[in-house]
Amino acid sequence: MPLLRIAAVAVLIGFPAVAAAAAEPLHSVIDRELKSAWAREKIAPAPRATDSAFLRRVYLDLLGAIPTYQETTAFLADTDARKREKLIDKLLADPRFATGQAQVWDQVLFGRHPANYDAVHKRPAFQGWLARQFADNVPYDRWVKELLLAETPGSEMFYVQFRGQPEEMTVAISKLFLGTQLQCARCHDHPYEKWTQKDFYGLTGFFVRLVVQESGSGAKRTFTIGEKGTGEVLFSGSVKEQRPGRKGEPVKPKFLGGKLLEEPPTPKGFKEPKSAKSLPKPAFSRKAKLAEWVASGDNPYLAKAVANRVWSQFMGRGLIHPIDDIRADSEASHPVLLKAITDGLAEHRFDLKWLIREIVLSDGYQLAMHGPSKEALPKWFEQARIRPLSAEELVAAMRVATMYDQPGDKKPEITWDYFTRYFGEPVNGLGDFQGSLSEHLFWNNSEHVRRFIQRKKGNLIDTLIASKEPVDKKVERLFLAIYQRLPNPTEADLIAKHLQLKDDKPEALYEEAIWALINSSEFRFNH
Amino acid sequence: MLSHLSRRAFLKGAAVIGSGLVVPNWGGLAHARSAAEAAKKSKKRCILLWMNGGASQIDTFDMKPGRPTGGPFRPIPSKVTGLQVCEYLPKMAQIADKLAVIRSMKTQSPDHPDGIYHMHTCYKQSERTPHPELGAVIAKFNGDPGADLPTFVRMGPGGNAGAGYLGPAHEPFSLDRNGRLPYFTSPYTKPEAEERRAKLFREMESEFASGHAAEPFESHRTSKERAWRLLRAKGAFDLSKEPASLKDRYGTSEFAKGCLMARKLVEAGVPFVEVGHDNYDSHADNFICHKANMQQLDGAWSTLLLDLADRGLLQDTLVVWMGEVGRTPQINNRAGRDHYIRAWTIVLAGGGITGGQVHGSTDIDGKDVKDDPVNEGDLFATIYRALGINHRAKHYTGIRPVWLTPEGSKPVKGLL
Repeated sequence: MPLLRIAAVAVLIGFPAVAAAAAEPLHSVIDRELKSAWAREKIAPAPRATDSAFLRRVYLDLLGAIPTYQETTAFLADTDARKREKLIDKLLADPRFATGQAQVWDQVLFGRHPANYDAVHKRPAFQGWLARQFADNVPYDRWVKELLLAETPGSEMFYVQFRGQPEEMTVAISKLFLGTQLQCARCHDHPYEKWTQKDFYGLTGFFVRLVVQESGSGAKRTFTIGEKGTGEVLFSGSVKEQRPGRKGEPVKPKFLGGKLLEEPPTPKGFKEPKSAKSLPKPAFSRKAKLAEWVASGDNPYLAKAVANRVWSQFMGRGLIHPIDDIRADSEASHPVLLKAITDGLAEHRFDLKWLIREIVLSDGYQLAMHGPSKEALPKWFEQARIRPLSAEELVAAMRVATMYDQPGDKKPEITWDYFTRYFGEPVNGLGDFQGSLSEHLFWNNSEHVRRFIQRKKGNLIDTLIASKEPVDKKVERLFLAIYQRLPNPTEADLIAKHLQLKDDKPEALYEEAIWALINSSEFRFNH
Repeated sequence: MLSHLSRRAFLKGAAVIGSGLVVPNWGGLAHARSAAEAAKKSKKRCILLWMNGGASQIDTFDMKPGRPTGGPFRPIPSKVTGLQVCEYLPKMAQIADKLAVIRSMKTQSPDHPDGIYHMHTCYKQSERTPHPELGAVIAKFNGDPGADLPTFVRMGPGGNAGAGYLGPAHEPFSLDRNGRLPYFTSPYTKPEAEERRAKLFREMESEFASGHAAEPFESHRTSKERAWRLLRAKGAFDLSKEPASLKDRYGTSEFAKGCLMARKLVEAGVPFVEVGHDNYDSHADNFICHKANMQQLDGAWSTLLLDLADRGLLQDTLVVWMGEVGRTPQINNRAGRDHYIRAWTIVLAGGGITGGQVHGSTDIDGKDVKDDPVNEGDLFATIYRALGINHRAKHYTGIRPVWLTPEGSKPVKGLL
């Protein structure tokens, strides 16, 4: 253990060289470090992304939607040399920044198939709570602490998904907030890492007393997180040593890679209250101690894990990859950069907005995606990453592109169940994108998608058909509305010809053209 | 396309893990890939007849006449010496030489959602690792991604795990109990309009692809083409043109239609079809329930095997008959039998299996396995071996390596 403490301290103090570099903005550090790796690896980076490519990418990454036609043309026409920076600041101040980031984190914290699905699959209060953290730019360590305390209405849902499964809380919390994979140590000591079952169950000791309390039913069902004053994890050896009737030894709560919890003895004669409706606050709360530790400077994992995660959110992969498996001996692809981000976060009091701004300001983020590489997530960040839009982003992008929402409309009819079913999880176990048959049957044949495209007053197709502009101008408008760019001559020709076919009514031909554009690879991904 | 994807998955897999571990990882994936290619050449297919709720072994293939657990059904002799079957399976008795009856299943998940999961994936549901169903595994290893038809088709009740870590490309394509196609398989446009927009899509994509070679784009296009090819091949799901005499032999139940559909689809190259039969969960009135079910099962299952054999397909098509649990030897006070996992029966036939045999046995009352117990992993290893798939092929879920069957699983030699 002493060795570990030293390692942790070293991370926190840092080396003098970095202290001197602190005046340098992080986005410059990013570019310097990426460049030096390219030179070392003899890699030629992609050129700078066009304004169009940057515009679409940064809108999707910051707000979870694409820009409107008007926003697009205004940005493209702007001649200010600092227009990208101006745009970034505008988007960071946009209310959709909070909801967009909350959407990302909501999926991080729950995924598409959370346990206790019935109770947590609809969680607007949680999503609202999360969005408020981003809207108010609450420091990351503070909102994580609040999440783990679960005392603010909405925040409790995180624990509710692990109802009755303290081991699952351990797995999730170590992975999400500490960037550490402990699940191997649940059944046996970790094969390649220092973690033992005692570490696993030591952390589980903080959760073993939690009780998910429920009241009301149906849509009015609400939850609170209670905590008992007694209860221990009983450890009975590895899975292979399990025998029926073998009772385990109690395991003392222990901070991951750190100290045992100092805990006052349970008061003599203490009895758990009989009525389990709502437990009183215990005299000593293990949950509070854990929440405090996770968010404190004593925890060497939090800053590094979130630095790596946020980097990967915008750049496609972690500096340590995968992001939830940071080990003592993990080597970052760009160690100086990871350290700079981690230290920077500590200096900026876990201000995620600051970090996001620095990342998207960097030249590295603003590279084009084309190049010879077929990698979706290039290791050296030499070209832009390619990621599928989430179901939520796809719907938002379709709504904006087709001008679906018109003033005076009723509440839009969006069949979320279908969109999350067909677009919700388009990756295999390695995280690689995989298209599916059912996704495309839905794209091709569903009225739920068609609804966005079909003519109605004021929408894209209506505007185009009603317009007296020449066809090449209409094609340009289509491209700007859907892709935020102008067509190349081949594309312009293809679409113009299609719009002018004599085989069918204009409604049908325009619908087909819009359909082809929103079904394309270019639209399906953020790149 | 496929070999390209496999190679990529293979390289990426190697990069996932720390440098010291590249070698074992490399070996595992390399093996998985060559196994996939070998199986594709032999084109082995599989039909799973899924007895939803769990069929009773004592009332079907492991009869205990004269014992307190025996129940009212009488055994009849089959074509195989030493194998008596229930009087309500006379047609199956006639073709028992095609069957390998495993009487010594000993499994771990005693209930429905967990048993259904376990007997489709050979892993416990409680682990929360997204394991794929055997249908998805067979789709991946023995399916042709360029085929017009889906590679994993399901009809009626069945698995609850889907493709798991194998990814959405291998998810099941589910017909309803009547064999009707799922939602969103009928175009809302006229055929000429569909053709027109498909042409435009392809031209636009090819323009985009010239400057952008990345794999996700290619996967997107490939799946789009799959959706269009399916429209072209929808006739394969139409049973109306099958001869009436053959339909009569299968029977008129939904399950019988499913069996005929399965035959039609494997004949058209679909590597895996699951047909569910409801409902065997006879906690009450076990005998009424099983008699009625067997009267549908007997004709459908036997005709399926004979129909496959007539067409020369049986040798390459493994037909598995199983549910998630067996049923208790004890008959409860509602004339029912409850779930039982200590000693129950599964039947294999066709592709790669040596027929006309009984594997393992249970004691005199059917309460325990007497010899040669078979667990979930061994059963799946046997199925995968019969289909030319390496049962220890390795994949990843996040950083965690996972294998098609649990450590220690072995194919049951005598069955193959």
